[in-house]
Amino acid sequence: MLAPKRVKYRKQMKGRTRGLATRGNTIAFGRYGLMSLEPGWITNRQIEAARVALTREMKRGGKVWIRIFPDKPITKKPAETRMGKGKGNPEGWVAVVKPGRVMFEIEGVGEELAQRALRLASAKLPVKTRFVKREDM
Amino acid sequence: MAEVITLAAERRTETGKGAARQLRLSGRIPAVIYGQGRESESLSLAEPDLAKAVAGRAVGSTVFDLKIDGKSVRALIREIQRHPFRLRILHVDFYEIHAGEKLTLDVPLHLVGSPEGVRNEGGILDQVIRDVQVEVLPKYIPEYIEIDVSDLHVGQSLHVRDLEVSNAKILTEPGKTICSIVRARVELEVQPEVPAEEEEAEPELIRKPKEDEAPAEGEDGSSEE
Repeated sequence: MLAPKRVKYRKQMKGRTRGLATRGNTIAFGRYGLMSLEPGWITNRQIEAARVALTREMKRGGKVWIRIFPDKPITKKPAETRMGKGKGNPEGWVAVVKPGRVMFEIEGVGEELAQRALRLASAKLPVKTRFVKREDM
Repeated sequence: MAEVITLAAERRTETGKGAARQLRLSGRIPAVIYGQGRESESLSLAEPDLAKAVAGRAVGSTVFDLKIDGKSVRALIREIQRHPFRLRILHVDFYEIHAGEKLTLDVPLHLVGSPEGVRNEGGILDQVIRDVQVEVLPKYIPEYIEIDVSDLHVGQSLHVRDLEVSNAKILTEPGKTICSIVRARVELEVQPEVPAEEEEAEPELIRKPKEDEAPAEGEDGSSEE
């Protein structure tokens, strides 16, 4: 699963996701893509599940690009713990996504199969998405 | 030469984001035209006409005949700004062209045919670049450049130096790869052998941890309650 190799700080603040994606909002590598229509946090497990769904549907053939990277650590307090006593332990990694962000790109397959594969990938993600083509951008 | 598309445009005097938003609400798109030896001018175009004119077209290499308040001007689109996810056009930049002036523009590449390596050898066609920069006179602007890829086998590739374009000079580096046939990577569905604990291991810290800082694993598990 995707995770940073080295980080400067173990824990981060939550932050708020405001605005639209001003970078990474066009198709840069492939021909078809999956664009997020909502802000959200995509965990590395969700990214991996979406990738597996994509590659399985495309069988052999085609190429996949993952345009997001989960570089934000998420902490969690253990179950049945009283509040306080500091921030919880790092439990996972997420990618912060804003509306307009192209999260996955594919190439080397027909439009129908691309649509089908990206719909399956979209089902693994916690945000509303749209299928986009290079020609439309 | 590529097809010339006619679009009606109007001059506009009001500028700024407030005026631009009002314009968009009324169904028109703000635009600007500039070029060598002319003052830049603010324009507006009807949104449906513009959207129809650019849909599915390589706009960078298409010549537009703009009727600005009745006067005809030939121009290329230099930039289209779109909404990040609604993909609606927000603004267009036009560049006026003149018959004798050489232009530098990006022309899309169209791969023609199904490669031998894909049909019979189980390879994948990997297109690395999708357009090339050319220097050309307006009357010779190609809509796209076609390349036949049907003879490519696995491991073979096409480069910019293999392109032939009449009446135009290619400015893109000749050694750049346009496309290649790569062997399909067969993904093995193997269950990860890494134990769950190891998978969750924290990454190394770039900075040195402070002395009073707790160790990475299980730091406050038992001290709760």
